[in-house]
Amino acid sequence: MAGTRGRPLREAGTIRPPMRFGDDPLLWASWLYYQEGLTQSEIADAMGASRPTVNAYLADARARGIVNISISHEHMRSVTLARALEDQFGLENCLVVPSQGEGRSLIERVGHAAAGILPTLVHAGDTLAITWGRTMLALAQAARLDGLRDVTVVQATGGTTAKIPYSPESCATRLADNIGARCVPISAPAIVSSAQARDLLLGETVVAEQLQYLSRLDRVLFGVSSLRPKSTIHSSGFFDNALQQHDFYDQAVGSLAGQFIDAHGAPVAGPLSERFIGLSLEDLRKVPTRLLVAAGFDKVQPILAGLRGGYVTTLVIDSDTAEGILRTLDIRLGRYVSTTRTKDAPLTDGTTPAPGRTQIKKFLNDPRDVVNEAMEGACAAYPGHIRSIDGSARAIGASAPRKAGKVGIVIGGGAGHEPAFLGFVGQGLADAVAIGNVFSSPPPDRILTCTRFADQGQGVLYIYGNYTGDVMNFDMASELAAAEGIRVRTIRTTDDIASSGFEDRDARRGTAGNVFVFKVAGAASARMDSLDECERLARKANAACHTIGVALEPCSMPETRRPSFTLAEDDLEFGVGVHGEPGVQRQKLLTADRIVDQICDQLFAAMDLQSGHRVAVLVNSLGGTPMIELMVLNRRLQQRLAARGASTHMTLVGHYCTSLDMVGASITLMSLDEELASLLDAPCDGFSWTRS
Amino acid sequence: MTGIDAPFIADMFRLATVRLEGKRQALCQLDGEIGDGDHGISMANGFAAIDRMLRKRGPAAPPELMRLAAQAFLGEVGATVGPLYASAFLEAATCLEKNAPLTLDQLGLMLSACAEGIRKRGQAQPGDKTMLDVWLPASQAAQRAARAGLPASDIARQTCDAARNACAETAALMSARGRAARLQERSIGHLDPGAVSSVEVICAICDTVLERAS
Repeated sequence: MAGTRGRPLREAGTIRPPMRFGDDPLLWASWLYYQEGLTQSEIADAMGASRPTVNAYLADARARGIVNISISHEHMRSVTLARALEDQFGLENCLVVPSQGEGRSLIERVGHAAAGILPTLVHAGDTLAITWGRTMLALAQAARLDGLRDVTVVQATGGTTAKIPYSPESCATRLADNIGARCVPISAPAIVSSAQARDLLLGETVVAEQLQYLSRLDRVLFGVSSLRPKSTIHSSGFFDNALQQHDFYDQAVGSLAGQFIDAHGAPVAGPLSERFIGLSLEDLRKVPTRLLVAAGFDKVQPILAGLRGGYVTTLVIDSDTAEGILRTLDIRLGRYVSTTRTKDAPLTDGTTPAPGRTQIKKFLNDPRDVVNEAMEGACAAYPGHIRSIDGSARAIGASAPRKAGKVGIVIGGGAGHEPAFLGFVGQGLADAVAIGNVFSSPPPDRILTCTRFADQGQGVLYIYGNYTGDVMNFDMASELAAAEGIRVRTIRTTDDIASSGFEDRDARRGTAGNVFVFKVAGAASARMDSLDECERLARKANAACHTIGVALEPCSMPETRRPSFTLAEDDLEFGVGVHGEPGVQRQKLLTADRIVDQICDQLFAAMDLQSGHRVAVLVNSLGGTPMIELMVLNRRLQQRLAARGASTHMTLVGHYCTSLDMVGASITLMSLDEELASLLDAPCDGFSWTRS
Repeated sequence: MTGIDAPFIADMFRLATVRLEGKRQALCQLDGEIGDGDHGISMANGFAAIDRMLRKRGPAAPPELMRLAAQAFLGEVGATVGPLYASAFLEAATCLEKNAPLTLDQLGLMLSACAEGIRKRGQAQPGDKTMLDVWLPASQAAQRAARAGLPASDIARQTCDAARNACAETAALMSARGRAARLQERSIGHLDPGAVSSVEVICAICDTVLERAS
């Protein structure tokens, strides 16, 4: 309530608390103090009590929990991070801005925050320098200082290409304008063509005079550039390919004010050193106040280097990047949180192993033999479906005779996904499967063996999940096959929408959606479609598949028999793949329906599911989750599909593409048109999918 | 002074095999944090396969041994490291052929060839938090030390140090390749398992140089 301050409420000494406070003076005093904003003596007047009594009331109110002071978690985290960074690097000041925020970009928000502390850093008569880059421009644009006299802003280096909006010139002039300062440019490029050219320019009176300012700086404001391909140092035209190809700068991890530093902040000398005009790193370090403003994960390494090198007295950074730096140094934040709060969840992600038993019991002989033994067992179980191609248990083909001239379908990947992938070999499905070690791609020679088996003169289609290892091994195999005159086309499945952004489909991984893609390609090849047509349909099927996986417990490798990661008792991992790797996001455990809802929200959005659309559904166990729970998941899934007005053409529920013994499930939705639906409906006969 | 000859290659692979076997569990655990937990298995089994092949196989020229090592490793593990190390060894074979006989202080040439093989096959950029972030700086350190005219033992020591330091730096990087890439910023603060195993391999090579140089 504005305007109540100082207003005499009642005559002193005559009053009881208003009715809404009952007889509780603590509550009343607290209300007046925290809500009405009165001072303690005003409250004393209002309550007819002495000021020390009011003080005691307020203290009691805190102690008894009537008043709780809470600081929002995100801000608290920022404060903790800032303290930890100050402590680690002996900073005078550190401001950590929450990384998550509405509206403006991260760089703009960090720039604004830095502008906000300028009044405490800059004083009348100061000379300050500013470097360049996106963050510096954001700072310069947001900066406001009124009534400071005789402030000078100097460009910290010579100029760069004018193609960038955040050039040294524009950062310096913008800052000077906004804080009412005089601007001193540097009338020379930051990098000149030769050492001679530099000496010549340094001899020019105007330039020499401008550079003089850099030797008497009170403050310097600077950013840091990584050396990643799109970083400022590249866009500024400093670091051309000719330079990169030599190893002059192989020690460098970033650049400050246009000069390179190694991981520990030591300057890295190279051919640019003697062609540089501007504030040297040595002089930078002599400036009394040195404000580094930086944000973004790609800058963890260069920021750390700058801190280690002692270039920074004041740091403005975002919270996620700050945490990345501290994690790199393995600093546990718990130490910076007051000890009375130890019950709170630790701020680090807590990857320490859970106490208690860590070895998982498994049916094993020698763990190294597990894949071969399992494949031998599978061939013995389903002789009508699969058989060894070359006598090994790792290259397996369909037992049934295949029509001459049929396009071959070769699938494969690591073991550990059973019944994938060998359960999907057979008539109307794949012709052969190459099997690697657990979660590891098969090698090229084995894939080649399968390729030769599958090829009947009309070419072979490879279908496998989009993983770095599989891509390399299958690509090598396809080169070898091409050398033997076998035509090979490749489909990399990318159905896992959690693994990469919507716009970046090619970077996604293949998971349970594989199954539908195998089916479509197998059906197309069984009706004697050409290689081109099989490829087109498989690609179309892959584009139609969308999957999200959720883990409740990690899996454990046969050789280690330890959980591949740890999940707290009430946590789940959202967006897991099928290799026991952690997912995209850790969150609190929810009920089955709420988990399905969360998955549906993302799947529906990704596939733009509308009323009237037709889908195929796969509710897949990741290994450890039993049928009964999969059916619970399917119940809610079908409710959500019905509510959206979509119809379910086909539903599969069970173990299709697993991740060893991971407790968890994935849901795949495939958008269908007539063409894809009819291929799914075609007969097939693999030991994991039979349809007549 | 002996050079990088056939016994050298057998010794370096044997040493790497022993060390990777010792790191089998630790590498799996490290990989479990940001990958799928099989890295220790792939590396230990892959090098064990090379060692077995070398023991069976009689004497052969260094480039031939390197080619066989590539085949043995790839045939055993596939995976992601299979093609990468196979390409490294194949490139090294070419290097050994071109520069035969390679002397101990030319260690950097062989390491650079390995790094180039890894880069070409994996298409990773420096800073992507991969094994390349160890192989590149280590090979560059070896070349630098050689240019400075240092004796082979110092070259080996500096190379090994460079590998270790570069590996420690991978904690600051965000994964851009492989399965860890889906973790994005959650990968920061973890060492890259491929970088850690690369240190074992590189230091085994360096220690083989040290045994002979001193």
